[in-house]
Amino acid sequence: MLFWIGMGAFVVTYAYSLGLNSVHGPGPGLMPFIVGLLLCLVSLYLLVSGLMKKDAVGETHKGEEKRGNLGAISLVVGSLIAYALLMERLGFLITTPLLLMALFLGSGARKWRFIVFTSILTSLIVYFAFTYLRIRLPAGIFRF
Amino acid sequence: MDLFSGILLGFKVALQPVNLFYCFAGCCIGTLIGVLPGIGPVGAMSILLPMTFGLSPATAIIMLAGIFYGAMYGGSTTSIMVNIPGEPSSVITCLDGYQMARRGRVGPALGISALGSFIGGTFSLIGLLFLVFPLAQAALQFGPPEFFAIICGSMVLLIYLSRGSAGKAFVMILVGLLLGTVGIDSISGVTRFNFGSPYLLDGIDFIPLAMGLFGISEVLENLEETGERTIFKSKLKNLLPNLEDWKRSIGPILRGTVIGFFGGILPGAGPVTATFLSYTIEKKISKDPGRFGQGAIEGVAGPETANNAATGGSFVPVLALGIPPNVIMAFLLGALIIHGVAPGPLLISRHPEIFWGVMASMYVGNCVLLLLNLPLIGFWVKILKIPYRVLMPMILLFCIIGSYSINNNATDVIVMVLFGVVGYILRKFDYEAAPLMVAYILGPMLERAFRKSLVLSDGKLNIFMERRIAAVILVISALLLVHSGYSSYRKFKSKRVPRQKA
Repeated sequence: MLFWIGMGAFVVTYAYSLGLNSVHGPGPGLMPFIVGLLLCLVSLYLLVSGLMKKDAVGETHKGEEKRGNLGAISLVVGSLIAYALLMERLGFLITTPLLLMALFLGSGARKWRFIVFTSILTSLIVYFAFTYLRIRLPAGIFRF
Repeated sequence: MDLFSGILLGFKVALQPVNLFYCFAGCCIGTLIGVLPGIGPVGAMSILLPMTFGLSPATAIIMLAGIFYGAMYGGSTTSIMVNIPGEPSSVITCLDGYQMARRGRVGPALGISALGSFIGGTFSLIGLLFLVFPLAQAALQFGPPEFFAIICGSMVLLIYLSRGSAGKAFVMILVGLLLGTVGIDSISGVTRFNFGSPYLLDGIDFIPLAMGLFGISEVLENLEETGERTIFKSKLKNLLPNLEDWKRSIGPILRGTVIGFFGGILPGAGPVTATFLSYTIEKKISKDPGRFGQGAIEGVAGPETANNAATGGSFVPVLALGIPPNVIMAFLLGALIIHGVAPGPLLISRHPEIFWGVMASMYVGNCVLLLLNLPLIGFWVKILKIPYRVLMPMILLFCIIGSYSINNNATDVIVMVLFGVVGYILRKFDYEAAPLMVAYILGPMLERAFRKSLVLSDGKLNIFMERRIAAVILVISALLLVHSGYSSYRKFKSKRVPRQKA
């Protein structure tokens, strides 16, 4: 909730600097200004009602939730970002098998032969299928 | 154009081989998506949208709509067979559908849900035809203040009808509105919220946003579940319900059609709310409510009909006003805009081929799905056995290709992944991404209507009160908002009182 209040406050000041009114009527900052203001108010309401509920019902169950599979999630997110950064430089056919291998690992597959084989095969099929459909994928260092 | 020649035109468009093929493809993909848990219709539509760029707008919308109602059919199959709803709208089918399956009545359960869906879909299309014209006619008289009021009203309904906390839905709508303002302001040309980045000048593209919030974050959430699914093993026989089943189901199907159709029109959870409502009503008016939850066929027939009837209903505001009542429709609207078709009351007269073609193809699609589902149920059940860890990398790969291929820009991929993480965090804190998405699409329309109205009135806000229609809608919305705040306050108070006594 504090995050939303902060964001709302930021939006309000930023929108104010854009100018609420112009010569021709309402300016570009007017709507963001109103929305930011509402965001502050609603999140303040959520914060207060959340605090009061805590008083009444005792500890909420937040934080007790299972932590999730943080390792797998960060592996997946990390490899996706790395892929996006590298795909145009190295090309689809090099980066995609690597990405798929990382993703298979993240999803809990453990058979190496299966992982390597499927990753390479899928990348090849997808590349040629999409190129055939005239969707351009980055060729990178292979140019053909 | 009169009704008859319109319908004729529609079927002419829908039965063109290209459109027939894409309608069929959309239905197949939709059913597949519905069967597979872990990716919903919105995620699937955003992945496939880039592939429709080469098609004509009518064909593209036909295919995307096919995915939507295909997913409705497919979702019910998994509910009945494995007790895992493929889509939120088939959650309620689990209650009685799975119980029917356990009692050896898989066939009738699947059969009645497919037939009920067909009946509901067909009738809601007829309803759509009769409602869209008067509404679009009326909407031609609307000026910016009326549109502003209608958009405000539909957002308030989104909040009022949201399943979770109303306050959280409100926050999501506001954030969606803000995301919609990023980029160059269409009226004054000033850049807003781009923080010096040239990428953000064009605003946040809606495909990476949708894929991130609905595709990637769903995958991330599913990574947590490692449990294997057990599939109900039973021989499929007697797909057709018997006479006794029909006698029990005909009432729920008819009521489900009406509930679904009107539920679909209202902004908010749309099909999902309609299924819950239908189930509750059937249970209330049943002579023998104890049978519900024990495999009552009424509990399958009603909700399954309602969710398909809602499909037709939710097209009403989109085609007549250009205002989407739920995420999927917001997505279809976004697709129309990308294809260069301006939505709004003029859609019917300017692009009759799209309007009538989509209508007719929905009917064709319903027939295709009936043919596709009854004989192929065994096949869909086999698909369920593909382990998720094999699917997950493929889903992500298609998301990446989809978001990359819109502009051939790797930044889109990064934006998508970031929104995926944001969406995942929001899910963890019980925020729904759906209102955000709808508000993101409605935001620019809202702002344009608002500022145009103020220009009309020389900056005086009372223009919204002088226009009668606008005033009525705004007052009703304000009352709804106050009521939802008040009822949550009362709930909170009633929780508090016994606590103090104890």
